[in-house]
Amino acid sequence: MFIRSAVGALCAGLIASSAVAAERIEFMFPAPVQGKLSREMQKLVKEFNSSQDGVEVVGVFTGSYDDTKVKSQAAAEAGKPPAVVLMSANFATELAMNDLIVPIKELAGDTDLDGLMQEFWPAVRPNAYFNGDVYSIPFQNSTPILYYNKEHFKEAGITKAPETWAEWVDAAKKLTKPEGERWGIMMPSNYDYNGWLVQALTMANGGQFYNNVYPGEIFYDHASTQGALKFWRDFAHQHKAMPTGVTNSKQVSTSFFSGKASMIVLSTGALTFVRENAKFDYDVAFMPRNIRNSVPIGGASLVSFKGTTDAQKKGAWEFISWLTSPEKIGHWSRFTGYFAPRQTAYDLPEMKKFTAEHPDALRAVEQLAYAGPWIATYNTVAVRKAVEDEMQALLSDPELTFREAAARAQKNADAVLAPYAEQTALTLK
Amino acid sequence: MKPDIKKWLAPGALLAATMCAVVFLWSTPFLWMLIASFRPDAGGGLGMASLFPDFTPTLQSYRYAIEDGYWPLWFLNSTILVTGTLVVQLVTISLAGYAFARIRFPGKEAIFYIFLLQLMLAPPVLIVPNLTTLVHLGLYDSLIGVMAPYWGSAFGTFLMRQTFRTIPKDFEEAAIIDGASWWQVLRYVLIPLSLPGLTAFSIVSVVYHWNEFLWPLMVINDPDKMVLTVGLVSFAQGAEGASDWGLIAAGTLFIMAPLFIAFTAFQRQFVNSFMSSGVK
Repeated sequence: MFIRSAVGALCAGLIASSAVAAERIEFMFPAPVQGKLSREMQKLVKEFNSSQDGVEVVGVFTGSYDDTKVKSQAAAEAGKPPAVVLMSANFATELAMNDLIVPIKELAGDTDLDGLMQEFWPAVRPNAYFNGDVYSIPFQNSTPILYYNKEHFKEAGITKAPETWAEWVDAAKKLTKPEGERWGIMMPSNYDYNGWLVQALTMANGGQFYNNVYPGEIFYDHASTQGALKFWRDFAHQHKAMPTGVTNSKQVSTSFFSGKASMIVLSTGALTFVRENAKFDYDVAFMPRNIRNSVPIGGASLVSFKGTTDAQKKGAWEFISWLTSPEKIGHWSRFTGYFAPRQTAYDLPEMKKFTAEHPDALRAVEQLAYAGPWIATYNTVAVRKAVEDEMQALLSDPELTFREAAARAQKNADAVLAPYAEQTALTLK
Repeated sequence: MKPDIKKWLAPGALLAATMCAVVFLWSTPFLWMLIASFRPDAGGGLGMASLFPDFTPTLQSYRYAIEDGYWPLWFLNSTILVTGTLVVQLVTISLAGYAFARIRFPGKEAIFYIFLLQLMLAPPVLIVPNLTTLVHLGLYDSLIGVMAPYWGSAFGTFLMRQTFRTIPKDFEEAAIIDGASWWQVLRYVLIPLSLPGLTAFSIVSVVYHWNEFLWPLMVINDPDKMVLTVGLVSFAQGAEGASDWGLIAAGTLFIMAPLFIAFTAFQRQFVNSFMSSGVK
């Protein structure tokens, strides 16, 4: 007891002796693309800390997007809410719904948030709002995009990147070499990526995938999603242009680099990584369409958990404002390959110079005109997993039909959504 | 000259060949990792998946791994973590094992089975309750917080109970007649005779905590308290894009090196401890 109070007194003395006590806040961030990023992020945190002395940010590495959610949520429930978290953009809805994160206006004082959001691309805005309030500030965003090996295209006599699903299938078949020597197309079908790509295909097939106004509805057993499931499975079983079974994103990129896959679908967030590792002439193109051009947004936004002090909130906003300034957000975009969600970042001279040198970095930005929000529902991960399980089964089992798979995905997802629907849409509010 | 086929088909040689094949299959991942760590352009150059080193080896991946990681700090933290966990565990499991093996008290069997139920719980289920407890105890974001939940080990208690029960009561009775108290019996008779069991448990514990990822990730925020596994992931993981396999391989070899060296050096003792803790 004595020792403890002695230590306490000592600490208090130390804190009091430093002239300005900086407010310490925690910033949790994942490294979703490559480890080099977490080092760069720590550098940014250090830069912010030395730029002012009111706030001291502690950068906390948190693993993958899903681990980040578990860690920050567990910390908040245990009574240690993190002030700033870089969270998968589609989790904000659910966290807001469960009252775990605060609306940004609680941090931002008299900043005009709606005005600020106007500086961000229209496509990234819906995921930032819930019930009319801004709950997250977009920081690193992506869309799925088609990377292709131009040398293989030339060899197969294909002159341009496929724009429609019919052209896509045709190209994939032409590019495939037998016995698994080379695959025409590969797409990651591990969890998280899987649901994102099913949504991308559904949107390209004219669908909505989920109700982006009411987070208690999902459209798996609808023609547009069924078509997406069928289209993806057919690459593997009917056209034999894609390996069967579950393929993760690492296998996809490795196969692309080694020339074993001619076209791949990956996040634009992997662009810098591909640029550094592809030792051949490659290019990126829009995701091909069936009914229309459309892709979901991906990536991560900054949120703040409930239960922090006012001083921490103020510090959190200072850090968020600094990190999402056009200069910093542009720097991060150039370093990673994610597009900058803040449009004004593209007006800066450094960005203009960079995109002139690397026009492939603009493809995702151009595709934004056709982009929509990312699946965000009540209990997002479980709802997403319902369709991912079925998509993985379709890729592994040639006997399973897309209709059965879609119906089962719908049934399982509806069961997850049922409690929320009962309490909201099925009840007088 | 014709090769002597009969000699080659002798049962002994056949068995040896089969065993070599099994060993090769079993060690493939390790061999691949070793090769990948020396491969240039391991981001996925041609023949990335090949087991045959068809390239000029390079130390580039190791250089990057050393540059990117704060290895001395991570090694120190991991060492503190496994030692701190193990030392307390050895004390608690010996005492608990002794209680369950030798002391008579009401409800002993029932309590023992409830204790064993702990083994059925998947660790992720306990993340939030354990974290809440740690926050209340003021141990959040500390290495002691990472260790604390493991200080009582159901597996260890079970193992020690079984080990103590295999020791004939005559030894203890002799000691008691000489005037030894219960803790002297434990300290001077039972523990020395159970060393193989304790060693076996230590190995399992050290390997488990050395390699553990999720729990340290949840508890630790301060970069200065990061352990090896979290540290490796922080610079080598890639979920949305891809990973630099060479870097991951090199980093993984760093992490496993101390355990690998210890096992190679003390192989015989380790194997013996497993043999004698099970049988006897």
